[in-house]
Amino acid sequence: MGTFDAIGIAGSGMTVYQTWINAISDNLANVNTVRSTSEEAFRARYVVASSVEYGTPAGTQVSSIELGDAEGRLVYEPDNPLADTEGYVRYPDIDMTSQMTHLIMAQRGYQANAAVVDRAKETYQAALQIGRS
Amino acid sequence: MSIDAISGIGTSSMLGAFGVGSTSTTSAVAGTSGVQALGSSFGASLTSSVDQLQAVQSNAKALAVEAVTGDLDDIHDYTIAAAEASTTLELTAALRNKAVEAFSEIMRMQA
Repeated sequence: MGTFDAIGIAGSGMTVYQTWINAISDNLANVNTVRSTSEEAFRARYVVASSVEYGTPAGTQVSSIELGDAEGRLVYEPDNPLADTEGYVRYPDIDMTSQMTHLIMAQRGYQANAAVVDRAKETYQAALQIGRS
Repeated sequence: MSIDAISGIGTSSMLGAFGVGSTSTTSAVAGTSGVQALGSSFGASLTSSVDQLQAVQSNAKALAVEAVTGDLDDIHDYTIAAAEASTTLELTAALRNKAVEAFSEIMRMQA
């Protein structure tokens, strides 16, 4: 569009960060999803972002969603109804600590882009104030 | 948000006053054609500004409908479109106000 490039670029960043937050939300929701050893574990979602070639519109985009390890980790829980004959079940290999730190990064990134939108709007409005009064 | 009334401004009436009035009264002065060109280019910029305003407002309106019907995926898509629409409206209003201000200034001229 031209006039609102800064706002559009920040908006594309917000879309990527929101996708990231959604993926982390999915990972955290399934952090204790137990499967039997005959199935593959819940695979963590990883958002792959890529920059849009400079031009119109610039910014960033979600290029793909990668899936984590299907192996998971085997946990000895003989009382679990899903346990195999040796007493093992399959948990997803998701580290909650790293997911939480990623969540903070995603949240701050989203907020940073929202701040850019606000500042860009303020800047344009400052231009509109020229010659008024 | 209907802005048919605004688009009426951009087309001809006021800009005719700028351009034609200058040519008839000051035809001997050099640079008259420049005034004429200025009038029409200002009209073109105001018209394109109004067109752009209509485009961003219809975009914001479509996203608002998506928001209330639950089809909106990203909240910021709507709020950004609304911010763009309001800023564009302010820009168009500023252009229009400046034009009217200049026109009034000319109309106040005494011999």
